[in-house]
Amino acid sequence: MNLELLQSAAADNRWGALFPELLLGCLALLLLVLEIVLPKKHHSAIPSVAILGQIALLIALIVHFRTGFIGMTTFNGLLRHSVEGQFMRVFFLLTSILVSILGVVSLSRQRMPRIEFFHIVIVVSAAMMLLVQSHHFVLFFVALETVTIGFYILVSYYRTNPLSLEAGLKYLIMGALSSSILLFGIVLLYGVVGNPALAPAGAAGSMDFSSVRQFLALHPDNFLAKVGIVLVLSGVAFKIGTVPFQIWVPDVYQGAPTPVTAFLAVGSKAAGFAVLIVLAGVFAPYQKLVIPVLASMAVATILFGNLAALTQFNVKRLIGLSGVSHAGYLLIGVIAAYTDPAAIGAVYFYLFAYLLASFAVFGVMTHVSGSNDAEQELEHYADLAKTHPFLAFVLAVGLGSLAGIPPLAGFIGKLMIFLTAFHAGLYVLLGVAILGVIVSIYYYFGWIKAAFFASWRLPAPAGEAQADLPRVAVGWPAKLALGSLALGSIVLGFYQGPLVEWLVLR
Amino acid sequence: MTIGLNDYLFLSVLLFAIGFLGVLLRKNTLVIYMCLELMLVASTLALVAFSRFNGTLDGNVFVFFILTVAAAEVAVGLAIIVALFRRRQTVQVDELNALKN
Repeated sequence: MNLELLQSAAADNRWGALFPELLLGCLALLLLVLEIVLPKKHHSAIPSVAILGQIALLIALIVHFRTGFIGMTTFNGLLRHSVEGQFMRVFFLLTSILVSILGVVSLSRQRMPRIEFFHIVIVVSAAMMLLVQSHHFVLFFVALETVTIGFYILVSYYRTNPLSLEAGLKYLIMGALSSSILLFGIVLLYGVVGNPALAPAGAAGSMDFSSVRQFLALHPDNFLAKVGIVLVLSGVAFKIGTVPFQIWVPDVYQGAPTPVTAFLAVGSKAAGFAVLIVLAGVFAPYQKLVIPVLASMAVATILFGNLAALTQFNVKRLIGLSGVSHAGYLLIGVIAAYTDPAAIGAVYFYLFAYLLASFAVFGVMTHVSGSNDAEQELEHYADLAKTHPFLAFVLAVGLGSLAGIPPLAGFIGKLMIFLTAFHAGLYVLLGVAILGVIVSIYYYFGWIKAAFFASWRLPAPAGEAQADLPRVAVGWPAKLALGSLALGSIVLGFYQGPLVEWLVLR
Repeated sequence: MTIGLNDYLFLSVLLFAIGFLGVLLRKNTLVIYMCLELMLVASTLALVAFSRFNGTLDGNVFVFFILTVAAAEVAVGLAIIVALFRRRQTVQVDELNALKN
């Protein structure tokens, strides 16, 4: 073995570039150690350690936002650091902090081991960070599987509840199926790109994204490459839950513990879209194939998501199906990015607005749900405005932002996506999306109506108290988080300022 | 006769198709799980064949990663199936339909 080659390979391992992921890993392990070391009565402090540690890391990450590694490829082409990657790191860290806060609220009602939940959440978000920065199919696959397997555990976490286990099994089967499809696509791409008869002389590794792109540009009409691209896109489409890979969404969203549903809805979807944007760039020479595939998915997704959500009374299924339609709007942004690069910024802005609004709604859901996490009906929200005006306000802001009511952040996100779609000349997609938004207002407002207006209930028989609705008081950390989410949705609606300039006008 | 790349690919696609159809058609969760593993193995076979005929080692290294990932997936998956069997006394997918409205 050539010693110099090994030395130069080792010199390319810039561990400093990975400090957020490494520190998250250390934090996750620290939680497990604390569980062993601390006496049992102090165990309730461990979740706070997890949350405070992540907040400290978030601050460090924002302070060091412009690291010297941006634009560099490290670890021998496994990772590529970019400004978008930094943005998604902050995004995922924010997601995992919020999931941990919701987890504290939700786990307090279950007799379950607690610490592992926070451990897995942290590990999964570190894997998501690696996933969106990967520049090589091996790392891409391994990071994706780390995320997916972590989610298998999280979805079936309330293992005394058969619904949670059933959701876990469904996610397991569909997730493993999509991973296999994705893997077969990667293998086909590897096969054609590495083919010595086709490859340009002296090509580097045949699995990193830049050499795949180079190959696709040289051979714009290769059959195996086409099959591979479609298979890889299908695998990613499963993660973001677009038609026809959305069958798992309503069941898994309903059965999973509410904080995990939030993690799936925001974290997993955002990771899928960040990856899709990277892959859309890699597959750019095959635009003639990729655009029709994505466009037909987007149309079917928007129509299916909105129409199926109309008939739902279980709020978790409802938010899952509405999330499907949001994936459709985001897909339009990804397609528009081929002609108008500003659309990439619009997609990231939309994801951020979606994070604020979704976590506001999921936070309220966590507080309103009883000990059976899977059964949350619209009627549980009756009189919420009277008994918990704060929760009702947060719910209204969150749902309004998801529906795209001006002047909330969700409206600006939709506006930016639609404007870029208009610039890119995607008039049919734009028409379908606007139709979808109009339909969506109906079910979002049905939910708000359930919370704000008194509904008729069977009067309790004489001598019996009215059955109490399963609600818990809002603790101060959750109050702070929910309040700032609602405030963020409002402020970002009025004043986008530097965020938009930075994301869109680059 | 010599066995060429196309023969390996044909076998791998065949295995993949058997696995895929099995996931869609079979009703027993454990059998579905075996079919999922079959799909992963089919990909691995294609990977090794490509690696051999392309003359690059990346594919062979990737196989180790796939095996590791598949082992982790089996560990979690079987745990979920066992826990579900304890609760519901069945692993037939058509009886596991509590999540419907």
